Amino acid sequence: MTEHWFWWLLAVACVVWYSTITVYVAIKGVRDIKSMLKRLAANNITNNGQPK
Amino acid sequence: MTNFSILDGSIVGIYLLATMIAGIMVRKYVGKVEHFLIAGREMDLYLGIASLAATEFGVVTCMYTAQNGYEFGFAGATPGIITALAMFLVGVTGFCVRPLRDAGVMTIPELFEKRFGPRVRWAAGVVIVLGGLLNMGVFLRIGGEFLVLVCGFDVQYLEIAMTVLLLAVAVYTILGGMLSVLVTDFLQFIVMSVGLILVTVLILVNVGWSTLTEAVARHYGEGGFNPFVHPKMGWPYVLFNVFLNLAAVLTWQTTIARLLAAKDTATGLKVYKGTSFFFVCRFLIPGIWGIAALATLSPGVFGGNTLHAMPQFLSTAVPVGLMGILVAAMLAADMSTDSSYMITWAGVIYNDILAPFRKTKWSEKRGILWNRLIVASIGFFLLFYGLWYPVKGDLWTYLGVTGTIYLSSMSVLLVACCYWKRANSWGAAAAIAFGAVIPVAFLIIQQVPSTKQIAESIGPYYSGIAAYLFAGAAMVVGSLMKPRGNNKIIGGTRS
Repeated sequence: MTEHWFWWLLAVACVVWYSTITVYVAIKGVRDIKSMLKRLAANNITNNGQPK
Repeated sequence: MTNFSILDGSIVGIYLLATMIAGIMVRKYVGKVEHFLIAGREMDLYLGIASLAATEFGVVTCMYTAQNGYEFGFAGATPGIITALAMFLVGVTGFCVRPLRDAGVMTIPELFEKRFGPRVRWAAGVVIVLGGLLNMGVFLRIGGEFLVLVCGFDVQYLEIAMTVLLLAVAVYTILGGMLSVLVTDFLQFIVMSVGLILVTVLILVNVGWSTLTEAVARHYGEGGFNPFVHPKMGWPYVLFNVFLNLAAVLTWQTTIARLLAAKDTATGLKVYKGTSFFFVCRFLIPGIWGIAALATLSPGVFGGNTLHAMPQFLSTAVPVGLMGILVAAMLAADMSTDSSYMITWAGVIYNDILAPFRKTKWSEKRGILWNRLIVASIGFFLLFYGLWYPVKGDLWTYLGVTGTIYLSSMSVLLVACCYWKRANSWGAAAAIAFGAVIPVAFLIIQQVPSTKQIAESIGPYYSGIAAYLFAGAAMVVGSLMKPRGNNKIIGGTRS
């Protein structure tokens, strides 16, 4: 472990960072999708006068 | 025999159903070509991170990075570290990508037209599509090989597995374009990440860190930990990967599509910064799987084909239940990559290659129909090319060489377009020609039996480095040869 500390640290960092970002993105991403679809729907209504 | 059971099959089935429903449901929001190709520029930060990460990790990625781990040890993760650094630096500085996003274009060649004219735009579109399609042409076969090996299906089902997978992806991509791609990418990111993390933890616990490092030390010595002293890597490998990955960060169509789909430039740059460390994980996590195969399997088990070592290892190392999550994760990875590649390259064909044929403005309806037809055509190409093209040498190098066909010239054009006042159409044309000819020539002489020896003596790294250097030199010489004109700078500080 101490002999190849660089790769050990990098492997641990990958598992920890990836786990954290997955949970974070999973929660925040839902909000992003909802707001994106809401803006697109509003945009379609503005352009066409009716929802598509 | 593998550990794939009915329980695992059910997990995969539920995942596939959920993805298809989500992908098809958002089709009603597609009202314009801009919605279809770049999601109406409404993508926000976290969706962007999920989409970029899911797109840039396919089964093919998992296979070649695991092969890198098997063949080079931990040093095989070097391209991932280089990409992460490049991605972070570009995200922080906005180098090239800020003026690109500020220009409000849908593709990179569209930006080039503003500076170099319509012919350069068209030529850039052609090399982008040529390099991109050759690159993604092997995705399906590799994905099919992984599934067949891990699930223990008969090899005769490879083509069927490939076709079914492609059809599923094509249906929602054709209907919903980039919107479907983004929403399904989000689901796929979660499923893929859960599978990748669980399997990696399982390997680290069951095989053990010391077993992994001992196997690498036994097979490759110090070279397994340091790319500069590895006999098959050395500085040419590292330098080629610096050029390749920096160019990919700046111009790879699927990456740039996220920047252009972002709701503003600041969001696009945050997506770059937020995703940068994922590129280390992208190489190191499957690399660890490949090293685990190196530590536990004898080459006879997978017939000496190092590409098959990792899936062969997983087929027996992953228990029932987790196997279903793994296969769903890999399907998720493959589907997100295929759909994204199909839509982004379709975007270049429609926006840039077909531009001269749109003398009058097409209606949005007609534009969307054409885009759907192009996506379907790319699907057919993928199916047939994937069936007959045999990959020679290691997969990462094949992808690097085919990607270089356009990455070398497009990166040079983008840098010059944004920051060099003297750059012009002569230099751009020369850079495109040199950047494409060198890797294409290398691929041809590698395939022809009488010239195979020459290709082996040159090697892919030197030919790759030459492509970037010659493309850069061609841009400078070609531009200086043309009489001075009024050359605009797009964005940047000069105008």
